[in-house]
Amino acid sequence: MNKLYIWAVVFAALMIVLTYLSVGTTEGGLNDDVVNQLAVAGAVALVVISVFVVVKYVRQMQVDTADGDLAEESWDGIGEYLNEVPKGWAILYILTMIWGMWYFTMGYPVNAYSQIGEYNEDVAAHDAKFAAEYKGITGNRLVEMGESVFLAECKVCHGISADGIDGKAANLNQRIEAVAVKHAIMNGANNFTTDFPGGMPPGLNYMFASEAELDELVNYVVAGMPADDTRGAELFAQGTCNGCHGDTGEGMPYAGPKINGYDIATVSSVLKDGKKGAIGTMPKFERLNAKQIEAVSAYITSLSK
Amino acid sequence: MFHWLEKNPFAFAVVVIVTIAFAGLVEIVPHFAQQARPVIGTTPYSTLELAGRHVYIKNSCNACHSQLVRPFKSETDRYGDYSLSGEYAYDRPFLWGSKRTGPDLMRVGNYRTTDWHENHMKDPASVVPGSIMPAYGWMFVNEADIDTSYAEQLTVAKFFGVPYNKPVPMKDGSTKIIKMGATVEEARAMALAEAKLITADMKNQDVKDAVENGKIPEIVAIIAYMNSLK
Ligand code: HEC
Ligand code: HEC
Ligand code: HEC
Repeated sequence: MNKLYIWAVVFAALMIVLTYLSVGTTEGGLNDDVVNQLAVAGAVALVVISVFVVVKYVRQMQVDTADGDLAEESWDGIGEYLNEVPKGWAILYILTMIWGMWYFTMGYPVNAYSQIGEYNEDVAAHDAKFAAEYKGITGNRLVEMGESVFLAECKVCHGISADGIDGKAANLNQRIEAVAVKHAIMNGANNFTTDFPGGMPPGLNYMFASEAELDELVNYVVAGMPADDTRGAELFAQGTCNGCHGDTGEGMPYAGPKINGYDIATVSSVLKDGKKGAIGTMPKFERLNAKQIEAVSAYITSLSK
Repeated sequence: MFHWLEKNPFAFAVVVIVTIAFAGLVEIVPHFAQQARPVIGTTPYSTLELAGRHVYIKNSCNACHSQLVRPFKSETDRYGDYSLSGEYAYDRPFLWGSKRTGPDLMRVGNYRTTDWHENHMKDPASVVPGSIMPAYGWMFVNEADIDTSYAEQLTVAKFFGVPYNKPVPMKDGSTKIIKMGATVEEARAMALAEAKLITADMKNQDVKDAVENGKIPEIVAIIAYMNSLK
C-alpha cells in the first residue's frame, strides 16, 4: 500500500484518540452528555473528511497527467485547458443570480433597516409610554410637570422665576402688565387668530374722558379685576370691554379671552399663535403635546394665584 | 471575446474603469437627482438674509452651532422636524457643523424672535444665566456687506439656476416669489426695506437710527438670517 495512505490512517486515528481522550475524560464523559457526544461526532467527521480530501489531492498531484484541449493563448509557455463549467457550480451560480435579483428588488427594499423607520417606532413607543404614565396626573404633579416644561421651553425668555427678565418678556407672575393692557386698548390686538378671529378693535381709549380715567381702568385690569372695585367695573362697562370679555373678565368664546387670570384656554391661545405686543414677540409653540400644554398652563396659573 | 481583453492589459484597465464608473452613475445619479432637489417650502435667501449668513460664517458661529437635526426623538422634541437633504439646496456652503457647544440652529426661527436675538447677541448671559456664548457687541456697529451678498445672489441665479424672481412652491400649495434686485442699487434698497421690518421689533436706538439713515448694521442681517431658519 502507498505510504501516503498509511500516514493518513495513522494521523486520523491519532486525532480521533486525542479527541476521545480530551472529551471522554471530562466531567459527564461520553455516556450521557449529548453535547459531548455531538462534539466528538463532529470532530471525527471533520478529521475524516479533511484527511480524505488532503489525500485525494496529494495523490492526484503525484499520479495525474493533464489532458484535454488547450486554449489558444499561451502565456510564456503556460497554457489553459478549455474545461466544461462544472454542473454543480453552474447551478449554484444561476441560483445565486436569481436570489440576487430577488434581493435587489424585493428582499432589501422591503426588509431593509431604515433610520426613519426606527425613528418613527421610537416616537410611537415614547408617545405611548408618555400617555400611559401621565394619563391621569392632576394637582401638584401636573404643576411640577408644567414647571419642567417651562424650564425647558420658556425660561430663556420669561426667566427662571417667570418674571420676564426685566421686561424682556411678559412677567407671568401676574395675568397681565399695565403696558400690555394699555397697548391692547390703544392699538387693538389680533394675535390669537385661531381662538379669536375677530380680534380687538383699536382706539378704545377714546371711550375715556381722560388719561387718568384710562389709567384707573388699566390698574383695575392689572389688579385682576377685584370684585369689590365697583368704580373699576363701571369703567370696564364704559369702555364696552364687558361686551367681549364678560362682566367679570372671564372671557367669552370667540369674542374675547379671559383677562382676570390664567387658565388652560388663555395659555393655549398664546401657544397656538404666539403674541406680538408692547413687550416683545413671543413665537408660537406647535411642538408641545396636549398634556404638556395642560401642565404648563397649570404651572402658569399657579404662579399668579 | 474576452481573451482579447486579457491580452491587452491597458484596454482591460480602461474597460474596468468604464464599467465601474457606469455602475456608480446608475447608483448615484438618480438618488442625487431626487435627494438634492429643494424640499417643497424651501426658499432661496433674500439679500439681507444672505448678508446675515455671511456674518454667521465670518464669526464662525458654525464652530459652536450645528444646523442639522438628526432623526432622534430627543432632538426633534427640542428642535423640530429632522433635517432633509433638500432643505440645504440653497446653502452654499451648507453649515451642518460638526460640534454642538451650543444648540442646533436649523430651525431656530420657529422658537426665537427678533427682540430675543437682540438681547442675546448683545449679552448672552443676560437671558441665559451662565451662558458661555461670546457677546457680539460689534455687530451693533459694523455694517453688513450687502454688495457681496447681492453678487452671490447674481452668481447662484446665473450658474446654478437658483429661482430668484420665480415662483417657488410652498407647503400649503401656494407659491412664493423671492425677489432679487435688477441692479445693485435696487438690491440695497430692498435690503434696507427688509431691515426696517426687523428694526421695528428691536429696541436698540442706535441700530434703529442707523437703518433710518440707510445703513444696515450686521446685527440686523444676522437676525434676518436667524429668523429665516425654519
Ligand atoms: C370687540 C370685542 C372686544 C372689546 C370691545 C374689547 N376687547 Fe379686549 N380683546 C378682545 C380680543 C378678541 C382679544 C384678543 C386679541 C388677540 O387676538 O390678540 C382681546 C385682548 C385683550 C387684552 C390682552 C389679553 C392678552 O392676553 O393678550 C386685554 C388686556 C384686553 N383685551 C382688555 C380690554 C379692555 C380693557 C377693553 C375695554 C377698553 C377691551 N379689551 C375691549 C376683544 C375685545
Ligand atoms: C422667544 C421668547 C419667548 C419664549 C421662548 C416664550 N415666550 Fe412667552 N412671551 C414672550 C414675550 C416677548 C411675551 C410678551 C408679549 C407681549 O405682550 O408683548 C410673552 C408673553 C407670554 C404670555 C402672556 C401672553 C398674554 O396674554 O399677554 C404667556 C402666557 C406666555 N408668554 C407663555 C409662554 C410659555 C408657556 C412659553 C413656553 C412654552 C413661552 N411663553 C415661551 C416671549 C417668549
Ligand atoms: C463658543 C461657542 C459659541 C459661539 C462661537 C457661538 N455660540 Fe451661540 N450659543 C453657544 C451656547 C453655549 C449657547 C447656549 C446658551 C445660550 O443660549 O446662550 C448658544 C446659544 C445660541 C442661540 C440660542 C439657541 C437656542 O435654541 O436657545 C442662538 C440663536 C445662537 N447661539 C446664535 C449664535 C450666533 C448667531 C453665533 C455667531 C455670531 C453664535 N451663536 C456663536 C455657544 C456659541
